[in-house]
Amino acid sequence: MGFPMVNFDRFLFAFTIASHILLVSVSIGIALLLSACEFLAARYRDPYYRGLARKLTRPFVVSFGVGTASGIVMAVELVNLFPTFMQLVSMTGVIAIFYVEIFAFFIETIFLVVYVYFGHTFQGRYTRWALSVPIAVGTLLSAVLITMVNAWMNTPNGFDLAVFTATGKVTGVNPWAPFLTASTGYEVMHVVSVVPLTGMMLLGGYFAYRYSRSTNASERMLFLKGLRVATGVGLVLVVLAILAGMLEIENLNKYQPLKYAAIELNLNPGSNLPETLFGYLSGQTIVGGLQIPGLQGFLAHGATVPGLSQYPRSEWPPLIIHDTFDAMVLGGVLLGLFLIAFAASWATGRKPFEHRRWVYGFALFAMVTAVIMELGWMTDELGRQPWIVYNVMTVNAAANYSSALLYPGLIIIAFYIALVPTTFYFMLRVFNGRSVDIDLEGPGAGEKDGNY
Amino acid sequence: MAITDWPFYLNFAVFTVFLTLFLTELMGGLVLLLFYDSAKKKVLPYIVPIWEVTGTFAAFWVVSADFAYPALIPAVATLFPAAIIVFLIFLVARNSSISFAEYILKHGWLDEKKLYQAYGVSTLLIALVLLMILSTIVSGAGIHLSPISFSFGSWITTPAALLYLLGVVILVAGLAPVFYDLEAFRRLTLPLTTVGVLVEVGALALFSRSFLAWPLLLASVLTVLAALLYLSRRTAPIVTNKVVFAFLSCVIIFSLNYLVYPTAFVNAAGGPLSVNSVTTSGPMVGAFDLLSVAGAVIIGLLMVLYMFAAYRSGRAAPGPRTPPAAAVVSPKDP
Repeated sequence: MGFPMVNFDRFLFAFTIASHILLVSVSIGIALLLSACEFLAARYRDPYYRGLARKLTRPFVVSFGVGTASGIVMAVELVNLFPTFMQLVSMTGVIAIFYVEIFAFFIETIFLVVYVYFGHTFQGRYTRWALSVPIAVGTLLSAVLITMVNAWMNTPNGFDLAVFTATGKVTGVNPWAPFLTASTGYEVMHVVSVVPLTGMMLLGGYFAYRYSRSTNASERMLFLKGLRVATGVGLVLVVLAILAGMLEIENLNKYQPLKYAAIELNLNPGSNLPETLFGYLSGQTIVGGLQIPGLQGFLAHGATVPGLSQYPRSEWPPLIIHDTFDAMVLGGVLLGLFLIAFAASWATGRKPFEHRRWVYGFALFAMVTAVIMELGWMTDELGRQPWIVYNVMTVNAAANYSSALLYPGLIIIAFYIALVPTTFYFMLRVFNGRSVDIDLEGPGAGEKDGNY
Repeated sequence: MAITDWPFYLNFAVFTVFLTLFLTELMGGLVLLLFYDSAKKKVLPYIVPIWEVTGTFAAFWVVSADFAYPALIPAVATLFPAAIIVFLIFLVARNSSISFAEYILKHGWLDEKKLYQAYGVSTLLIALVLLMILSTIVSGAGIHLSPISFSFGSWITTPAALLYLLGVVILVAGLAPVFYDLEAFRRLTLPLTTVGVLVEVGALALFSRSFLAWPLLLASVLTVLAALLYLSRRTAPIVTNKVVFAFLSCVIIFSLNYLVYPTAFVNAAGGPLSVNSVTTSGPMVGAFDLLSVAGAVIIGLLMVLYMFAAYRSGRAAPGPRTPPAAAVVSPKDP
């Protein structure tokens, strides 16, 4: 076969996970917003927040249904596409992280079912909010745990690495060590801020758009309140994401120096190096791009930073990660500035949501956030190449070379190409399926099957 | 039971719950596919709140199997790569169609009925892939263990494997009216269930005479008993109670663990396979046992909450707001 199966495995998994994280970020965003709305509805006895929670429940069920199936696809695809990697995972404590994730998944599922289908039987003022909290916690916990697995792939521990690389034998296993690797805290902090931020921004962008288009007073009020929560939470998350990103880059310098060198496009090691924005390496020269003298040295606190020349070229990751990283940082900074300006304008009574340029700006930055998240993920994953477990196992050693994967894999790709837009389309349809006035009336009004 | 057996039994227990939930969904999916208009009021109240839980148990089973049998992972990827991907496609199709169906309002050609029937088709196709894989694990049909390979042609030309599939389909058709209390099919349940049991026992006997053991007799008697109890209106409420039915199903499935333990792939070339030879070892056993017990407690508490909420919901005042799952696990069911 002309096309190497290992590259197909790579592409198939990358494609499915890129699609999956889009669905999941919206799912996490809705779960957080839902819970926030339930709290505000109970605290202020505000029908608009209650109405918005009701409206959000329906797309959440859709995103949960598709997202969980897609999550299972990820888990099983790992076995199918990278069996040797999964064998290592299963012989070490990493599988324990996957296992605990299932329990988080159960918390989310059962509380979702109780909240959606049986929630109307709980009448306490804060009960519905209390039921919604474990949904958000379970959803977020799943993201935290899967990030722990990724952190282990970047900074593996929990078994004798030297023996494994020399003999391929797994010895000295500590089942609990992978829960806390050298990069776990930083990665978790970054993901826990960026993924909900994406979901929150996409929701906020949609609310802003709907607010500007609607002529119904109740509908406008409901979307305005949703936009307020999304902006507030988004602002906190974007600051957290930038801080976490800065800490993570320092961690990379320490524990994944080659990835750091590739991200910064440092050909040679040194201190007080310039920060190179964009550009590419041609031979031994950096072409194009903008150099800011001393900035990298300043961010690295004057320490010596690694260079690509310290490593064999065969181990270099694709240097496109320099550009994906720069685009991510640039987008993140612009997003932060936009949100600060938007919130400041709102706080000073200028009602930015009444102005079309702000509304369209919000919608644009919602899209930008999704792109930023995907770029960040690409930087992380491409930056680890050719390794699947950093310095321990290459993707080539882990992959499944069976050509039987090819056609079913192509079908999966075609399926996902249809699935993601269809899911978003249905989410919008069920969100708008009944009028705001019906959602504001209270439980039971206009319900199709008695569901919330 | 030795401590080395724990990973198997814990994993099999998870599989038992998953399979029970999945089979009840399969029954519902089949009924929705064939008799949507007349049966939806009986089927949807159960299916709609439970499909998320079934999916979660599926993930639980997959991950606990990865944990329990690390040495099997490369073999699984070599044996069933295409089947697994097909399974995944239908799984996503199942989840998408039912979650869309729950809230869709009629728009053009697409409506609730079509989506629920798409869910039924997806569930049926998932079942066929799953049963194919299960039949190979039990029998080894089409399997070569050294070097590892699977021949679909060899599997599909094994009469016992096809009988195994047919038996399950007949059993599902026979027991669906019991589980969903479909009065119109009352008379069909006993003959269909009996034939299903006979076909299944025949298939297992063809796989290996050693499968004809007392747990199979117990499972067969309990299965036929369920259909028998449904014949009389006085005893029918016992088996149409979904908790009782699910419990019985768990007992039956769990009692059949001897089909794959201590050896699996009984007729495989180069087989059979000793399960303990591929089970996790060392400190991972302790971690697996500890986390499984902790997880069982968490899931147990969550299921109690689920049943409590469903019970409260069942006792809520009837009317337009009667929730869909009112009859799911209420002790007063039906």
